[in-house]
Amino acid sequence: MPERRLHLQLGIGAVLVAALLLFWAIPTWVSSPSNVRNIVLSPLFWPNTLAALTALIGLSLIATALRLPRAEKAASDVHDRPQAVARLVGAAVVMVVTFWALPRLGLVWTAMLAFAALAFLVKTRHPGWALGSAVLVPLLLYLFFAKVAGVAIPQGEFIRLP
Amino acid sequence: MGLMDSLMAGLSLVGNVEAFLALGLGVLIGVIGGAIPGMSATMAVALTLPFTFAMQPITGILLLLGVYKGGIFGGSIPAILIKTPGTPASSATVLDGYPLAEKGLAGKALGMALWASCTADLISNLALILFAGWLASFALSFGPPEFFTLILFSLTIIAGVSGDSLLRGALSALLGLLLATIGLDLVYGTNRFTFSDPNLMGGLNFIAVLIGLFAIPEILSMVWNPRAHEGQTRSLGDNWVTIKEYLASFKSIVRGSLIGVFLGSIPGIGAAPSAFLSYSEARRKSPNRANFGKGELEGVAASEAGNNGVAGATLIPLLALGVPGDVITAIIMGAFMIHGLQPGPMMFIINVDIIYGLFIGLIVSSVFLFFIGSVAIRAFKFVADIPRGVLFPAVMILCVYGVFAVNNNLFDVGVMFAMGWVGFFFLRFQIPAAPFLIAFILGPLLEDNFRQAMLMSGSSPLILFRGPITWVFWSLTAITVIAIARAGWKAARRRGTPA
Repeated sequence: MPERRLHLQLGIGAVLVAALLLFWAIPTWVSSPSNVRNIVLSPLFWPNTLAALTALIGLSLIATALRLPRAEKAASDVHDRPQAVARLVGAAVVMVVTFWALPRLGLVWTAMLAFAALAFLVKTRHPGWALGSAVLVPLLLYLFFAKVAGVAIPQGEFIRLP
Repeated sequence: MGLMDSLMAGLSLVGNVEAFLALGLGVLIGVIGGAIPGMSATMAVALTLPFTFAMQPITGILLLLGVYKGGIFGGSIPAILIKTPGTPASSATVLDGYPLAEKGLAGKALGMALWASCTADLISNLALILFAGWLASFALSFGPPEFFTLILFSLTIIAGVSGDSLLRGALSALLGLLLATIGLDLVYGTNRFTFSDPNLMGGLNFIAVLIGLFAIPEILSMVWNPRAHEGQTRSLGDNWVTIKEYLASFKSIVRGSLIGVFLGSIPGIGAAPSAFLSYSEARRKSPNRANFGKGELEGVAASEAGNNGVAGATLIPLLALGVPGDVITAIIMGAFMIHGLQPGPMMFIINVDIIYGLFIGLIVSSVFLFFIGSVAIRAFKFVADIPRGVLFPAVMILCVYGVFAVNNNLFDVGVMFAMGWVGFFFLRFQIPAAPFLIAFILGPLLEDNFRQAMLMSGSSPLILFRGPITWVFWSLTAITVIAIARAGWKAARRRGTPA
């Protein structure tokens, strides 16, 4: 991405984040006891200071961007941009489904499905290896964490492992 | 406790097969992790961390230190053989390593990288042993105002040197500090950004944040471009580095090691700048300077000495002051905390056996690095051939298990995924992630010490200037900020763009 556009987008983003913090998130989600007499000891002081500094950095990024020359559009780092975006959306879906399925199916079965889904999402050239590993890796990790490290791995509501 | 007693106490901790196995295994994992393009020493340490929970503290920490040291060396293998540095610290090694490989002298370049790495590693470990205790005894006189100014100083360096844009580094550090405010207030115990969710009351889990930030973005990058990191592996060739060649580069190796020790002991600088500085110094002083960049063995030696010289020295501020020297030591600091140990000056009094155990282990790690590194160089082809479409899904599953195992909490897995997208966004927008993580760790310490100082003084800010130590740190902070701003301004002028 050209430097000018990068700085401009980051600067606007930082200012928006700071505004969101200062005008909504901090007043709503940071509570302070009413008897705090000194502002520097208040739980609000630190978040407010950091939000203000974020705004300052955001404005500096915008100012920097405006001084930069307009550049030609940079080439994309992937040759199949629409498919790349689709793959990213796919990865997001895999993560959301994994998080949802973990308490229901259990860690091991969910991990197997997530492994296979991710491997096929990137069109692995070794589907056999991927499927084998999708079964083996979660099982081996289960053996280590459950039997060696003594971690209570979630088993889910359906099939339970010994 | 005298030196001999401390040494014996340390030896009794590490003088067992388990500790040495952990160290050797750590070096092996590190070399493999560093040698796989797309992974890095940081990612290897982060992924190994959950496996240390079931171990004795010293064994677990030695395992991680082994991964750290192996990872920094391992990065040089793909840097030389496929022109792709396995870790950012190995970027300088590409300059001469790959031209040597093109000439059929990859074996020689890798041999020199190994010798230089082991020598620098040893020098760095000795520096740690010599200086950490001294610095810790000095730091015992620190109070909250001194620690506040020290951490502030550390943060200014982190923000300035972790990327090519000061503003992006500062933005990253500020976001890390903001994320660290989530949880119950340190003084009053009131809610801050907990969104009425009990999972957030203790703040975000450090391991979930770091694995999310350093491992998941690499997986997402692979999803974005599955064919990245594919390169032509060069053969090793028949030549190996000779003692004569090693001795010819010895001066550069020692100089690079000392540069590494100096830069590594300052929190936040890290191995990559050290490697480049060592390389440029070697080029400036070498009679073969015209050959640098075209396949000069001394160039490989200098850059590898520079990055490995940092590996022991970054532990100096961690062990002596409780401030991580770089992002990997920040992860190792997490391991200390998980095992109920608080790095810092008091550790030299309360856990002196662990400190000396680590020192002994670190010295041994240099020897392990030499032998394991020699084998790894020859075995690189097999490592490089691991299909990415199988490796990265495995890494994601490893992350899920590891993050869950920290607190037996599925919420942390969600935090890791969310941080993964933050990390991917950082990658796409060229925001360095290291200042974010270090600021996330140092944030509570910074705030805690600031508020303690304010409580001590009845809210008078003058306490932050109460003695020579605070003045030294304020001066260092000011000098650093000015130096960074000047360097950024000069670089921007050279490029014809603003900083």
